[in-house]
Amino acid sequence: MDRLDELESKSIYIIREAYAQCRKLALLWSIGKDSSTLLWLARKAFLGQLPFPVLHIDTGRKFRAMIEFRDARAREFGLRLIVARNDEALAGAEPGKPLAGGGKLDCCTALKTQALQQAIARHGLKALLLGIRRDEHGIRAKERYFSPRDENFQWNYKNQPPELWDQYRSRSEEGSHMRIHPLLHWSELDIWRYVRRENIPTVPLYFARNGKRYRSIGCECCCAPIDSAADTLDAVIRELETTTTSERAGRAQDKENAYTMQKLRALGYM
Amino acid sequence: MGAVRQKPGVLVIGLDGLPFTLARQLIAGGYAPALARLAAEGRLQQMDSVVPTVSAVAWTSFLTGVQPGKHGLYGFVFRNPAGYDIEVCSTRVIRRKLLPELVSDAGRTAFSMNVPVTSPPRPVNGIMIGCFLSPDLEKAAWPAEEAAYLRSVGYRIDTDAALARRSTAGMLEDVRRTTERRVTAALHYLAARPWDYFHVHIMETDRLNHFLLGRALAGGGFAADFFDCCRYIDGQVARLLDAVAEDTPLLVVSDHGFEPIRQEAQLGRWLVERGWTVLGGGPVRSPLDFDPSRTRAYALIPGRIYVNLRGREPGGIVAPEEYEAVREAVTRDLLDLRDAAAGAPVIRRVLRREEFLWPAGRLGPCPDMPLRDRLFGDPVYALAPDLVAEPCPGYDLKMGLAKQALFEKTELEGMHTRDDAMLLVRGMAAPAGRASILDCAPMILGRLGIAAADMDGGAEGAA
Repeated sequence: MDRLDELESKSIYIIREAYAQCRKLALLWSIGKDSSTLLWLARKAFLGQLPFPVLHIDTGRKFRAMIEFRDARAREFGLRLIVARNDEALAGAEPGKPLAGGGKLDCCTALKTQALQQAIARHGLKALLLGIRRDEHGIRAKERYFSPRDENFQWNYKNQPPELWDQYRSRSEEGSHMRIHPLLHWSELDIWRYVRRENIPTVPLYFARNGKRYRSIGCECCCAPIDSAADTLDAVIRELETTTTSERAGRAQDKENAYTMQKLRALGYM
Repeated sequence: MGAVRQKPGVLVIGLDGLPFTLARQLIAGGYAPALARLAAEGRLQQMDSVVPTVSAVAWTSFLTGVQPGKHGLYGFVFRNPAGYDIEVCSTRVIRRKLLPELVSDAGRTAFSMNVPVTSPPRPVNGIMIGCFLSPDLEKAAWPAEEAAYLRSVGYRIDTDAALARRSTAGMLEDVRRTTERRVTAALHYLAARPWDYFHVHIMETDRLNHFLLGRALAGGGFAADFFDCCRYIDGQVARLLDAVAEDTPLLVVSDHGFEPIRQEAQLGRWLVERGWTVLGGGPVRSPLDFDPSRTRAYALIPGRIYVNLRGREPGGIVAPEEYEAVREAVTRDLLDLRDAAAGAPVIRRVLRREEFLWPAGRLGPCPDMPLRDRLFGDPVYALAPDLVAEPCPGYDLKMGLAKQALFEKTELEGMHTRDDAMLLVRGMAAPAGRASILDCAPMILGRLGIAAADMDGGAEGAA
């Protein structure tokens, strides 16, 4: 078994374990490369037929190419797709821009976090499969494969057992939901090598056009392309093998930065 | 039965932005019995802050004992050297070791809570709880495990000062609750083990002054609420004093003074009007959202002016040989700015970077050196403003690149002053002459018997 087989095998084990423990499960699909890989693995785990829905949080600010990709794959794979939006926050909002009257953090909170909270309540979900990886961000390095969240989405990282010998605490307490991270042990390069091996469809924004490509995608107003000539899968992999910049460098403002900016603005320092 | 009193090597209580003159007023009015007692036992004096006069810079000078030109932090925000994106300051930018680190390096124990700028916290021989810029408790605490305790007592990283925009009563209540929780947590740590250096920072005095100072000084019914809140904070200081031995050496320090705002003046807009900053035509989303290919100078808070210099700024257009001429011309334009309605000038004077950033001593001029070395020699100086405008009393200098009017009055009521910070010293030698915030670090280290190498302040003093 090569490295990609091992990664795949562990992820599929976790996906099946998640479904075995909780039938009120959904896969959170941001349409990026990671959650698209997760979707691919989940389909493999259940021989092509997903026994649970796929949830997409639509902020109304995603790239058009992402929405087209989502709808085409949903048809092709026969997905039970739930599209959730925070309609109240979106009412009257200017299209294509962060919500007015607050910082980007407020916008993310309203259009992503609150929309997800609403969807969890509406569909009675108890567990979510997510495509996060430990190497993405410092705080994600602390994550477990099975990670409970309370009703306010708070994560108590101190209350996490070690996950030795594939023993997972896969049951959550009343009032909380479980987040399951089958890709935690993958790196960005692993994802791309697996995408190449399996020929997994991905959004074309990841490939260079006119010297620019997106390395991380989300809302159009908060993503910037990086300088790159990598216009094929092989070229992307070659680029990542030697790069020294971080994956999220193209995200104009990460939430943390947005938080502090908002704080300084409130105090009149901006 | 009384609780066991601790005796840390040095106790520091930060009262952010509490002016010396207001402290005296509070003491005289009976609103600050704890400060009054300390002032009687020690010495309360007026103190100079640094330029640019803002907490991020001033406390970093407190923590490092050096001028901004050495520690490398010039404001809460700075331009990312790679382009024209705004970044928020953090310990990652500070070029020097902080007091708790210096104490730790000497094998002693250090505790620090909420001091700007200690986010993200640096590893110390003890505990460092980061400042109000910390995004959450896990990221605020070193070691991170302390977050669990802090959460269990309802510790809050910061008061929600923006509440003042909706409800003054709500803000005052929030200030009380946040301060009380912070002092409760600090007392827990104070009792947990002996400390050589123990620093608790109360940010809320700054928030009160920013949002309420004007009305408080104007008198009337509202002033009573303000002063009651000050009395409450003094009561929290008293809780700390009650927990330590009566002969514990201590400092109560503020980082700058405050005065009421008459008008906010938008320096960014003024530079646009005078043609130094040229907007790109689209919506302005950040203070650096101008057209670099046509901009020769731009402004950041507080009163910081930068030349868009070729070879330093990635899109810089001013040639190094034009640098001095541009600085002189911008200085003239800044001094031209007048508040027509009041018939008053806005800028008192404009300092060149070498007049306030240079590492050689207090506010002295820099030694003569080639322009190229001054501008490009050290990246610390590359981020330093080329000019700093000092305002006339009551004119708070903002960025306001996209503002419609040059002057406005917002809900902010107080602005910083440089020469009215406060230093209260008990049980150790106070500075003999006029005190500077730069004196504090060498004083503290001196008291602990730790050498203070290469600091700008003086440790020598008289009790």
